[in-house]
Amino acid sequence: MFRFSKEQSIVNVAGVKFGGQCGQLPSVLCGTIFYQGHKIVDDEERGIFDRAAAERLISRQAELSEETGCPSVLHLYARSIEAFERYLEFAEGVWSGPFIIDSADAATRSAAALLISEIGYADRAIYNSISLATEEKEAQALQDSEIDSSIILAYNPSQPGVDGSLAILETGGTVREKGLLAAAGEIGMRNLLIDPAVLPLGSGAGSALRFSIAAKARLGLPVGSGIHNAVSSWPWLSKKETTIKKGCDAAAGAMQLLAGADFLLYGPIESADNIFPAAAMADILIAEAVRDLDLAPGEAHPLKRLV
Amino acid sequence: MAKECNGTKPGYEDPWPPVRGDYQVGNANAGVAVVTLASPIFPKGAAICGQCKTENLGVEKIVANVISNCNIRILILCGVESKGHLPGNTILALHKNGIDEQGRIIGSRGAIPFIQNLPAEAIARFQCQVELVDCIGLEDIEQIEEQISRYSRICEPYPEKPFQVIKRKAASRQIAFGRGDLSFGGRVIMDTSAWLVEEETMAKANAEG
Repeated sequence: MFRFSKEQSIVNVAGVKFGGQCGQLPSVLCGTIFYQGHKIVDDEERGIFDRAAAERLISRQAELSEETGCPSVLHLYARSIEAFERYLEFAEGVWSGPFIIDSADAATRSAAALLISEIGYADRAIYNSISLATEEKEAQALQDSEIDSSIILAYNPSQPGVDGSLAILETGGTVREKGLLAAAGEIGMRNLLIDPAVLPLGSGAGSALRFSIAAKARLGLPVGSGIHNAVSSWPWLSKKETTIKKGCDAAAGAMQLLAGADFLLYGPIESADNIFPAAAMADILIAEAVRDLDLAPGEAHPLKRLV
Repeated sequence: MAKECNGTKPGYEDPWPPVRGDYQVGNANAGVAVVTLASPIFPKGAAICGQCKTENLGVEKIVANVISNCNIRILILCGVESKGHLPGNTILALHKNGIDEQGRIIGSRGAIPFIQNLPAEAIARFQCQVELVDCIGLEDIEQIEEQISRYSRICEPYPEKPFQVIKRKAASRQIAFGRGDLSFGGRVIMDTSAWLVEEETMAKANAEG
């Protein structure tokens, strides 16, 4: 939809490309597995889960990716390092693409980064995330690891809004001595993916859309978000039927892509059937919108595959 | 309609609670509120009962809903903590220590423990109006209901008006055209920091003069 005057960098993680001008590359879609409350997980602490069900979900995401042309990433969430080890051991047998390592617990994330490096998968890993919450211990673990790709979370609760989100990245704003981009560079992160941090609807979710465009214009880095969180945290919608929720989920994803996003952290991997068509449609519309701006998508783009 | 809380109920304004969320409302005249943290359990007998999984916006909603009802004098924290976020620890820290000038909750071990939408007076009111009962880790509904019943008997309404948290309006700023850093084609450009779209020639003139 837009064309940025600043050069847009393209990040390549294990063959999957993120970024560029709008309409240039297909959107990268990242589905989460083993998330908190995932029905296929029997024991979140130990990482005991239904392997057949997990394999079906991962295969389905891969099939949709192949069919639409939107590349996919496996977003692995773990409650503990014991669980992460089990998930990783399983994932390596069924998934050959890039994966995101994630946990709400900093110690688990740090241990996962070191484990990934030890077994030689660092070039396939994207760390989620470096943020205001990243303390010295976690930063040191990342520096000691071989991971060089990370999501940078532009959440700045002391200065909500677009300006505050840019400040936390560039200068640290009023809450950090240094911007997150510089801090990430110092610990060896070379492939940076910007996440605006989507708040609940009514608390400022919409600013993520404007921030996405502003961040690409100012930084030239790939941007993407977990905008599904705005949908799932909407109390009014929670009482509605599943089909209505799915409609809102797909619409939110498409709106984020129209607002310049290069990737979506689309939430539960079960949503793949809902999200891939919506994202592919958004990609086609955007590619057609910029067709006369000298921006031609590649052969794998949904524009070339689905219409 | 506002009601003064001088010992005659209700002590809250309808509709209560003012902030939406993932909770169940019981008898709004009850003196106990319950936060079950990451546990999806709903013990009976409290004025309001719900989960809290985040150490920033989730905590803010609890404070706003509690202080808008002066019948609530006890806040029971129970259920399991949300790993990494630690909202239970954060509520305890907020009640004990308050916030610093950046809005950071002093002493919280949560990941990003900030208050961004509440004035300092709301925090002070929360600290004065309610006492916290730390049952973090407790998931047994019967035991939680026993605690609710026990504390309900001793609660007297807070002798002030309900405190209504009014959402802070985002500060408006003077915006002007700068240099466009985003193009729509057809000589239409956008200055993304100002979020203004204009024709390229006009933008150049504005930038120069």
